Amino acid sequence: MILLALLIVPLAASLAALFARTRSVMEVVNVAAFAILLCLAAALGVQVLRGGPVSLWDEFFYADALSALVVLLTSFVALVCSIYAVGYFRHDERNGVFREKKELRSALAVPKLREYYSLTPLFVFSMVLVALANNLGILWVAIEGTTLASVFLVMFYGRETSLEAAWKYAIIGGVGLSMALFGTLLTYYSAHRALGTDTLAGLNWSILVGNAVQFDKPTMRLAFILILLGYGTKAGIAPMHTWKPDAYSEAPVPAAAMLAAGVLNCALYGLVRFYILTSKCLGPDFASHLLILFGLLSMGVAVPFILVQKNFRRMLAYSSIDHSGIMVLALGFGGPLGVLGMFLHMTFHAITKPLLFFCAGNLQQQMKTDLFPEAKGGLIHSLPLSGGAFLMATLAVTGAPPFSLFLSEFTILRAGFGGGHFVLAILFITFLVAIFSGFLIHISNLVLGPDRGLPPAENCPWKKFSVVGVALVIIVVGFWIPAPLFRLIQGAADIVFSGR
Amino acid sequence: MSFFQDPEFGDRVITLMAALVLVLQIAAVGQRWLVSSIRIFAVQSFLLAAIAGIIAYFNHASHIYIAAFLTLSLKAGLLPWALERLVKRIEIRREIEPLINAPLSILIAGCLTLVGYVVAQSFYHPEETSVRAALGHNTLAVAIALFLIGFFTMLNRRKALTQVLGLLSLENGLFLAAISLTYGMPLVVELGIFFDVLVAVLILGILVSRIREAFDSMDVSKLRKLRE
Repeated sequence: MILLALLIVPLAASLAALFARTRSVMEVVNVAAFAILLCLAAALGVQVLRGGPVSLWDEFFYADALSALVVLLTSFVALVCSIYAVGYFRHDERNGVFREKKELRSALAVPKLREYYSLTPLFVFSMVLVALANNLGILWVAIEGTTLASVFLVMFYGRETSLEAAWKYAIIGGVGLSMALFGTLLTYYSAHRALGTDTLAGLNWSILVGNAVQFDKPTMRLAFILILLGYGTKAGIAPMHTWKPDAYSEAPVPAAAMLAAGVLNCALYGLVRFYILTSKCLGPDFASHLLILFGLLSMGVAVPFILVQKNFRRMLAYSSIDHSGIMVLALGFGGPLGVLGMFLHMTFHAITKPLLFFCAGNLQQQMKTDLFPEAKGGLIHSLPLSGGAFLMATLAVTGAPPFSLFLSEFTILRAGFGGGHFVLAILFITFLVAIFSGFLIHISNLVLGPDRGLPPAENCPWKKFSVVGVALVIIVVGFWIPAPLFRLIQGAADIVFSGR
Repeated sequence: MSFFQDPEFGDRVITLMAALVLVLQIAAVGQRWLVSSIRIFAVQSFLLAAIAGIIAYFNHASHIYIAAFLTLSLKAGLLPWALERLVKRIEIRREIEPLINAPLSILIAGCLTLVGYVVAQSFYHPEETSVRAALGHNTLAVAIALFLIGFFTMLNRRKALTQVLGLLSLENGLFLAAISLTYGMPLVVELGIFFDVLVAVLILGILVSRIREAFDSMDVSKLRKLRE
């Protein structure tokens, strides 16, 4: 039942927003729905920890620790983004962003906001469906659904540049996902020959995983390559990452944060499910080599672009390419430590990334630019809260202690050395240090510096609340991980490692 | 009328149709009129629906009939109609010069077909002796070739609409692979996939027309503002 509720809540929120008359109703519905969703996700986590996997309708929906973790992270990101969105769009409306466009000229911008508030719950619905679907075909449909719902969010402002970004996103995403579909098809084929089943259950992951040893090996090899390229495109792994900077810098900030901290996890979740099947069928080496290659490539691609970056929202996109590279690399290192490191990283990244986006959004709305040279420096004087939080989030996201990403990156590093990948591990450290210095130089130049005499701004309680709230979560998680959350992460890692 | 029950006959018809599909795909590579490209796509989809129908008939797999019907109504009917309307509305008839000229593109398409056959070799399982079970297996090479040529079309063409057509023919390759390898995926999955393809094309259509409004052309190579 809880699985059904998790899916119905966002759908209902989307419908309610469609029929809402005023802005405040839409805001309340959005925030309330995601708050309920977070509670349900926590309840699902508890249930999975207590009684093992939950399933519904003949295992059509199926949730183990791995799914529960992804649902929990998705709903956390959705909730904080919906709180921030209230402040963000009110600011937009006050500054007449919606009135400048001739096609948007309407009283109080309610239709435009309705578009946002009805699409985001649909977006979240597909992300939750990704984690709950047992059937690998439905998983693919749900991931495609995240693209479809978010294309409109990327072109929300209707500028020429946002059209360009949305076009790139739709086309690159479409090609990537068709590769993933081909991979899913070949997986079905390789299992079909072993299982000889023509029924719906023939694509159910919970059934496939028990029989993966008998799959047709050459077919499975090709299938995994296609899946890695396909879902890797959605996760933004190099060289299929080119849509990311454009989409992240053109989408409204709360939607961009959901792309960075939500869709990334969902795409990697799909990849992990296939990784389990592949490594059971072919042994871990084949998949590991590919994952290590693409992971390091993504990190390496991100380095120069972060070092010379002029636009701070594009910089966040490269950071997200870097982090998806780290997670893929961790999965490639494998072993209990590598896999544990990957899920720790996924959790901490999803908690940290939204704050970075919120601060960047506040700065952008205040300065009306997202370029470093135009924003100059000294922003901490006019925006003390966002500026300070931006610095803190920068340290957190680049993996400086005491923040939690340090812990996960250290775990991954240990897995690398433990697995005998000395050269690769040293390369990993080099990339991390380069990205750390690039980020710190850019953001400290932006935030610190002499007072430029701008009037103090920051009077929106919604924005303040979301920034302070996420910052508190980051600080707390840096020192203390709640025991149930850690057991959930451990459970997810066990599923990957032992296939149960 | 005994040959209607003979799987050998069905196999030949399927092979013939698959060959036609491939020829159409290569013809589309050299085609510069948008309306013709759309019609080639429609005929190709019609042939795919027919292949699906034949496989369903000889294997008594009733759920493939549904897939065949969906292909016929959506891909051979609704989508080409909508795309043609779009072309008339935005008044663009011809593709501008593609990045690689037509003769060379057709040559590349031929090479990609070869690649398709090489890849499909590894899936050939001669131990499957029953003709009925192996029905349509030799169309896998065509399916992979369609997939690769669709990919190439997307890279080669610069109009937004031809890129969409490339994506659609790539999906056609997938569909052919699905029905020839496994007699279709489970039905629920197929329904979901069709729904998604339809919505994706709607979104792309909206994007194409908005790009037209914003840039006064559908030339994707003009989308060059977002760069490092």
